[in-house]
Amino acid sequence: MPNWLSDFLSEMRYRVRAVFRKRSVEHDLDDEIRFHIDKEAKKLEASGLPPHEAHRQARIAFGGVERIKEDTRDVSGVSWLEVLLQDLRYAARGLRARPAFTASVTLTLGLGIGANVAMFGIVDQLLIRPPAYLRDPGRVHRIYLTSVSDRRDVTDGFTEYARYRDFARLTKTLDATAVLAWNQFAVGVGEDAKEMPIGIVSASFWSFFDARPALGRYFTASEDSIPTGSPVAVLSYAFWQARYGGSPDVLGKSVQIGPVPCTIIGVAAPGFIGIPDEGVPAAFIPATVYGYGVSSARGRIDYYNTYNWGWLSVIVRRKPNVSLEATNADLTNAYRLSWAAERAISPNIPPVEIARPRAAAGPVVFERGPNATPVARIALWIAGVATIVLLIACANVANLLLARALFRRREIALRLTLGATRRRLLAQLLTESLLLGTLGGVAGIAAAQWGGAILRSLFLSDVASADVVRDERTLAFAGAAALIAGLMTGLVPAVQAGRAALAPALKTGSRDGTYQRSRMRTMLLVLQGALSVLLLVGAGLFVRSLHNVRSMRLGYDVDPVLYVHLNLRGLRLPVDQRAELARRLVDAARAIPEVESAARGISVPFWSTEGLGFTVPGVDSVRRLGHFTVQMASADYFTTTGTRILKGRGFTAADRADGALVAAVSQGMAEAVWPGRDAIGQCIKIDRPTDPCRIVVGVVENIHQNSLTESQKLQYYLPIDQMRPNEADVFVRTRGDASAHAETVRRELQKVMPGASYVTATPMREIIDPRQRSWQIGATMFLVFGALALVLAAIGLYSVIAYGVAQRTQEIGVRIALGAGVSDIIRLVLGQGLRFAALGIVVGGAGAWWASKWVGPLLFSVSPKDPVIYGTVAVVLLAAALLASAIPAVRAARVDPNVALRSE
Amino acid sequence: MNDEKLDLPQGTLDLLILKAVSLGPMHGWAISERIRDVSKATLQIPQGSLYPALHRLERRGWISAEWGASDNNRRAKYYQLTRSGRSQLQAEADAWRSLTAAVSLVLDMG
Repeated sequence: MPNWLSDFLSEMRYRVRAVFRKRSVEHDLDDEIRFHIDKEAKKLEASGLPPHEAHRQARIAFGGVERIKEDTRDVSGVSWLEVLLQDLRYAARGLRARPAFTASVTLTLGLGIGANVAMFGIVDQLLIRPPAYLRDPGRVHRIYLTSVSDRRDVTDGFTEYARYRDFARLTKTLDATAVLAWNQFAVGVGEDAKEMPIGIVSASFWSFFDARPALGRYFTASEDSIPTGSPVAVLSYAFWQARYGGSPDVLGKSVQIGPVPCTIIGVAAPGFIGIPDEGVPAAFIPATVYGYGVSSARGRIDYYNTYNWGWLSVIVRRKPNVSLEATNADLTNAYRLSWAAERAISPNIPPVEIARPRAAAGPVVFERGPNATPVARIALWIAGVATIVLLIACANVANLLLARALFRRREIALRLTLGATRRRLLAQLLTESLLLGTLGGVAGIAAAQWGGAILRSLFLSDVASADVVRDERTLAFAGAAALIAGLMTGLVPAVQAGRAALAPALKTGSRDGTYQRSRMRTMLLVLQGALSVLLLVGAGLFVRSLHNVRSMRLGYDVDPVLYVHLNLRGLRLPVDQRAELARRLVDAARAIPEVESAARGISVPFWSTEGLGFTVPGVDSVRRLGHFTVQMASADYFTTTGTRILKGRGFTAADRADGALVAAVSQGMAEAVWPGRDAIGQCIKIDRPTDPCRIVVGVVENIHQNSLTESQKLQYYLPIDQMRPNEADVFVRTRGDASAHAETVRRELQKVMPGASYVTATPMREIIDPRQRSWQIGATMFLVFGALALVLAAIGLYSVIAYGVAQRTQEIGVRIALGAGVSDIIRLVLGQGLRFAALGIVVGGAGAWWASKWVGPLLFSVSPKDPVIYGTVAVVLLAAALLASAIPAVRAARVDPNVALRSE
Repeated sequence: MNDEKLDLPQGTLDLLILKAVSLGPMHGWAISERIRDVSKATLQIPQGSLYPALHRLERRGWISAEWGASDNNRRAKYYQLTRSGRSQLQAEADAWRSLTAAVSLVLDMG
């Protein structure tokens, strides 16, 4: 142990004992002194003195016991610990004496700190914290693949099983590779069956984590071998608790996951959720089981050596001592070889030289990678916003403390003259503000715990929410925020108090006639106003964005439409029977009174798209025009989805397999394929030029298929009965809001489903909403925090102006006595408040203007410099300032000059 | 108190206490007795400064204190030298010796 440390420890030991065992230390000292005197007396007795006399002399020789005790106590010290405790007691007493002040400061800081704590928890989970149990997070990556498509680099985090095998086989710099995928499946049978997120992982996935199974074991490579794998499942701890009550005899039981009955072989470690992209998995199944299940339902068990079904992410761990650059070069090399292998099977994909395939090891959490949704970025913005709210709260509290420091100037000056050092005074003031910060921190944790749940549900939707109080990272952050808030609020008044000149403060009365304008307070006020403006401008921009994105026409109706998905759960039906089932569902739906119309289709925007090669006589290679998507639809399809027919007709019941072959095309496709000509009556040939002509009978509006910002212009429609696809789903249009009728429709349609198969009914709104989530979050959060900031700033302004009026009572009295009217006085006070607001608007507006280039990309068809928003915010802030200064203004106007002038 | 006793120069009290307790654990009274005996009653520690000094040294970590039973079975507080106290004693003793040697040299000149 180094010397200074042992010195320090001995000092600490001594002082702690001195403080906390004060009584026993005192007692010890008494004992020690008595022992000394007795010893001395014994010695004197031995030299022949009578006991009484010996004792007397010993006492005299020792000297004044009380003084010596006092001296000894001085040495053992009024330690700094005791000083601190004394300051704390003093501060606590002061705060208890003014409960209103204390409560308002606690509330202000609590809201500011709480907002930050809640946002920290979210940002931490979205962007910082590695997945739980992950071993060597620094070396674990997800592979992101980039290639040139349409002369643009396109990066994707998903790929095929065959590609995963190529990466595992062709790389040299990796320790381990694993498959990670996610899907929603019905778990259980009968009444209990419920759609739940399922983790689809390779056996190697478990080696990435240090998480021993809570029960049983994880699956092994032999249970995850191509082609079929073994139907086994590992339950998540939470699901095991919820569904099986944590019973140990689940091992060996069977659980139906989607179409596959799986044997339960283990329960994952508590809190283990793998790498949750879109939800916390209820269970994990082998990747090969899923791959086999899906591809065999399509009639071809080739998922592991073909490249046309990208459904998984590849997770890798670099070897130690291999640089990221080396790994990326290795991965790219493997991807190029893999690309060539794919081209050997599908010669129509571009060669390596043109596609330039590249692979890179990126962040393992999808939301931190190149394909992240704007949610993470918006969370960062909102965290910044929360910081601003805290700044405003601190400015507010600093202002209150400054006002109090002015009131306490005499007290402080008096204590300085009585010999208190400035350091002691500063320490005392800081102790007070740190105590306030701590109170605010506690309130903040409470606020984050309560309000945080709402925030988390906004940002993290399905991902498990952590408990603020039990999460030490978040608690540590809350502590730091409280400390910083305490220091920030305390520093300004403390420095000002430390600078106080003694004589003038002592000489004048507590009301010293002249109004003291503090430059610091003015700056704090303007800062608050400016920050509020910044947040309100942000709120305006996001509200406009949300409004724009909500009111945008997508090419179909959202609110009245339900998407009904048929889940056959492994039931093998011939194509004709399957089509018949879908037809019966449409009939059943039409029979429901709330339903306006229903139709069959095979794809739904944002969830699934289909492509199909086709040719057009007289047009050389339509592929050159871009990427075409196809929908196969029944009669009434366009009526049901609300897609407008611009020309010609939609499909009818007459467009049967034995009817004339027809098609419909989107407006964008009509313009691209037959520019300057009428698309109606043109011919499309599916697959090969030898196929018969399908005559275009209708042109419909473009729809948004995969993106809210860009519509899919190249889309065509074929009558479903003329195509006989493997799968068909049902669209239902209800009267009024579809989400109100979703359950009714589901229950009616379920009656038609055979065996264990079932339907899900999803309102289109639920499909679209997640795409609009970032704007919704932005609008909500900026509005909430902006409003909070405005209220705080208004309270700050009110307290400053009210305090000013109280200080200037005399001056105002003189003015009234000299003939100033009520309106003059009111104008005087209001003018002051409005001046602050105007300054805040100018500074904040400039700040918002400056920040606009960063917020621009997050908005939706709104200019970040929209003058209407800036104007509105200016008016709102002025109104708030007017309101905040109106009360003190009225009070000022009521000043009775007689009272005011006589009072001194 | 005897006026013929020498006043202790500033700082020497600590040195004397450290030296005394370096011989083994002892209580306050024994320390003052030991110093008086060894110095042939020339050095008498003012009782008023003994206990503050002991507590000061304890606080610095140079000596440590422990309650124990004295010869006639009474509770007594025994002080003993710590490791850092030992090096402090060494340093102070060296400083004292070189100081007194230098002072003697000056007094003996001429």
